[in-house]
Amino acid sequence: MNKVLILIVSLSLSYALKVGERVDSSLINKLNIDTNKIVIIDFFASWCHSCEKEIPLISQYNTTIDKNKIEIIGIDVDRDKSDGIEFQKKLKKSNNLNFRVIDDPSNEIIAIFKPLGMPALYILKDAKIVEIIYGAIDDIDQVLNTKIKGL
Amino acid sequence: MIKYILLVILILALNACTSVMPWEKDKLAKESMSLEGINQQINKIEEHVYYSKDGTKGGGGSGGGCGCN
Repeated sequence: MNKVLILIVSLSLSYALKVGERVDSSLINKLNIDTNKIVIIDFFASWCHSCEKEIPLISQYNTTIDKNKIEIIGIDVDRDKSDGIEFQKKLKKSNNLNFRVIDDPSNEIIAIFKPLGMPALYILKDAKIVEIIYGAIDDIDQVLNTKIKGL
Repeated sequence: MIKYILLVILILALNACTSVMPWEKDKLAKESMSLEGINQQINKIEEHVYYSKDGTKGGGGSGGGCGCN
């Protein structure tokens, strides 16, 4: 009985990854992240209009970076995978998506990060979160450029 | 004493309300979930009224996206 109660209490204390925290090595491997690079993780979904606005700007920024030093990874959190794939196809067709995307239909990955809002951008350096950017930002490409330069 | 505290926590954990995480708002973001439903004409008329009378725009969604616009 006590064990069940402890389990319920521990499950109710949900925990989100914050700036300064290290991402678990198993997740780093799962996402195939090169820890020698600065990695930008963009959580998006087809139903998130703000994400749709940001992705072309992030793709634009992706064309300006040194790929040996920085990598952008998208994580599509659509629970209906076909919606996500359709959305990505549409973006790719209009040359608005040029970075690697990992589908997360079971929401396993985003449930580890637990962002407060969408879109959510995490900047990782040496597998450690150095910056989190939530919500729609009109000039996200410029913001990313400034933040990355400051690292 | 500890048993009573755990009992209170257990009761609190058994309520019917649940929080929807930002990444779980896919169904809430659908047009059919907005207050005016799928009839966009009503939505446009309402928006026009608010815009011309109050000078306000937006905020009619039901919870999709970041919630900041």
